[in-house]
Amino acid sequence: MSSTTANAVAPDVLDSLLDIQPGTALHGVRHAREKVAMATQGSHDLFFADDLGNNLSLTERTWVAYFAARLTPQETLRAYYLASLQSQGIAPHDLALIDAGKLDELDDARLAAILRFTRTLIESPVHGDQAALEALQHQGLSTEEIVVLAQLIAFLSYQVRLAAGLSALSATGAV
Amino acid sequence: MSETIRSNGFTNQVLGWKAWLPTLDLNTASPEQIAVLEESHPQAKTSDYYLTLGHHPDILRQRSLAFNAIMYAPGGLSRAERELASTVVSRINQCVYCASVHAQRFEQLAKRNDVIREIFADPATAGTSEREKAIVQFSIDLTLNPAEIDAGHIQTLREHGLDDGQILDLIHAIAIFAWANRLMLNLGEPVFPGA
Repeated sequence: MSSTTANAVAPDVLDSLLDIQPGTALHGVRHAREKVAMATQGSHDLFFADDLGNNLSLTERTWVAYFAARLTPQETLRAYYLASLQSQGIAPHDLALIDAGKLDELDDARLAAILRFTRTLIESPVHGDQAALEALQHQGLSTEEIVVLAQLIAFLSYQVRLAAGLSALSATGAV
Repeated sequence: MSETIRSNGFTNQVLGWKAWLPTLDLNTASPEQIAVLEESHPQAKTSDYYLTLGHHPDILRQRSLAFNAIMYAPGGLSRAERELASTVVSRINQCVYCASVHAQRFEQLAKRNDVIREIFADPATAGTSEREKAIVQFSIDLTLNPAEIDAGHIQTLREHGLDDGQILDLIHAIAIFAWANRLMLNLGEPVFPGA
């Protein structure tokens, strides 16, 4: 895993999780596109900031990420987001319901609506419609929160595919 | 545009896009929101899409940095082949608006639209050369089954002449359209000419 000194820039999440070490051919290939790597990490840092202004809580955002990685599936990111949820102190009962896809049984109706929207966008994005946005509005989500939620799920769709592609490149030994 | 293609609900015509949520009002937008719109796209201030995403300018800024670096950076995979991958992903995800935009960009860059006609008709068999078929197939596979992508997929691309830098550019172009398609499909809808 990459290491950094205290107060240094946060390490790149995908390099760390996929063990893409500085000095390797794949690290060189990836960071030849440094603007992409920076904006990917910059997006990740924003989506998982402790405070995103008047918006979705960090725990809600991490549930979305966990559920998206689980549905895809992308095991490395699933485990990463699960560890983050556990450090935030989630209820094991909620995790069991979400793992079983029993969103209707969650006590938190707002979270259930957020995760239903996540499932639609991850599994079948063409089936999202105006009614899907109205279901979120019905649970009190503001326009800004809905935009952030859609951006988050869409970003995760990108992140899981980038992780899958980088893993495959890593498995071949980038030349 | 040399000729209009209409196939399976997809087209290379210029389409509009209408937001389902209230868009940003430029008269009350913050200076930061205006700045991010101007960085994102030349027509962002008149685009429902950017005026929707402008509700959270910091996230839009990072998205636009990623998108523009992936699609427009010099070197590596040709811009036409990046647009080819974007069109395939949009066809698979059934984003009619995105498919139209990126079909047009492919044609502007490549000066032909034969492969676009094939992608709209049947992406699984599309490609006018073996290299193009390999790019199309990888775009389908990474879009539909990311968990199944392995070293064999990378090896196939190498055998068709892509180096690892070009393969990364291809992965980026496919992945960024997983992102773009979901926003276009879920925050609004295409508007057809004359509608």
